[in-house]
Amino acid sequence: MLFSKYFSRGKKEEKVLEKIRSHIELLCKACELFSTALQSEDTGSMRAIIDLEREADGVKRKIISGIYEGAFLPYLRPDLCRFVETVDDIFDMLEDTAFNAMSIYLPHSIREESFRVAFLNSRMCEMLLITFDAMVEGEDLRERVLAIRIYEKKIDDMKFGILCDLRELAIDSYWYGKALSDFVTGLTSISDIIEDACDHLQIIHLSMR
Amino acid sequence: MKVKEIMTTRIEQIDADQTVFDAIEKMIERRIRSLVVKFPGEDGADGIVTARDIVFKVIAQKKNLRQVKISEIASKPLICVDQQTELGSVAELMEESNVERVFVRDDDKIIGVVALLDIMAGTLIMRARGQNVI
Repeated sequence: MLFSKYFSRGKKEEKVLEKIRSHIELLCKACELFSTALQSEDTGSMRAIIDLEREADGVKRKIISGIYEGAFLPYLRPDLCRFVETVDDIFDMLEDTAFNAMSIYLPHSIREESFRVAFLNSRMCEMLLITFDAMVEGEDLRERVLAIRIYEKKIDDMKFGILCDLRELAIDSYWYGKALSDFVTGLTSISDIIEDACDHLQIIHLSMR
Repeated sequence: MKVKEIMTTRIEQIDADQTVFDAIEKMIERRIRSLVVKFPGEDGADGIVTARDIVFKVIAQKKNLRQVKISEIASKPLICVDQQTELGSVAELMEESNVERVFVRDDDKIIGVVALLDIMAGTLIMRARGQNVI
């Protein structure tokens, strides 16, 4: 294990790594829940995402504390914290998007594409977890990083089409228009932040060589 | 990996009696490389026009973009697969049929398109997931 040479006797690092993993697992769960709730228009499940975000907040605090209580060599700590903060940013964006999803009805013209973006976001989170596991095992990240970029590019292409359709809609209420616009922006920005998180993993991986 | 995971769902259409100029306008505006061609009155007989068709059959031949009709350069029939088809089978079909993209059908409705680049992207994702590649 690549991380093994940085482990102290107290195995503080192992505990932090386990928590980081469970943080990403929570993210996968939230993204999958969002994808299914969006399709089934299930408000209860959308609300559950807000609860998952709170739970993830608690996990994040424990990770940061664990790191500054002495886990890992000091030069690794800022990058690890930045990665955890970025995963937290994904949660925040997902929570905002779920909140907006509850207050709008999805217009027919962007419905299928929105479902697809939500599905791809959830697949990207799974890939982030796979990439994290690979980093911990000291494996090459190249193929995983490329897979995340492929997903991001696909969502980016879809975003352009959704925005084109959005501009053709007649909006009769300012607040509905704002919520719909924020929903689309949030939905299509999640992949950008996942890609950022993946970049941080790559930086951590490189700095350990 | 099933084809539905990697397909592009944005499908744009054009009528067979429109001009090549209309097709170029649509392709550039929507950043796409192919359009499904609708032939009026012919049920289920859709065709396809690609950027390659336009460049090779019209621009390279110095034909007038506003005079050539899509029906003159479109290819028929569309090569289609079911959304549950595995990526490997799609790659084989593309190779057999010598086409760069196949369409994904759900009953009579076209719901997506898979191009060569999607096959490569899907293969990389499968490798990253540790799944057996084609």
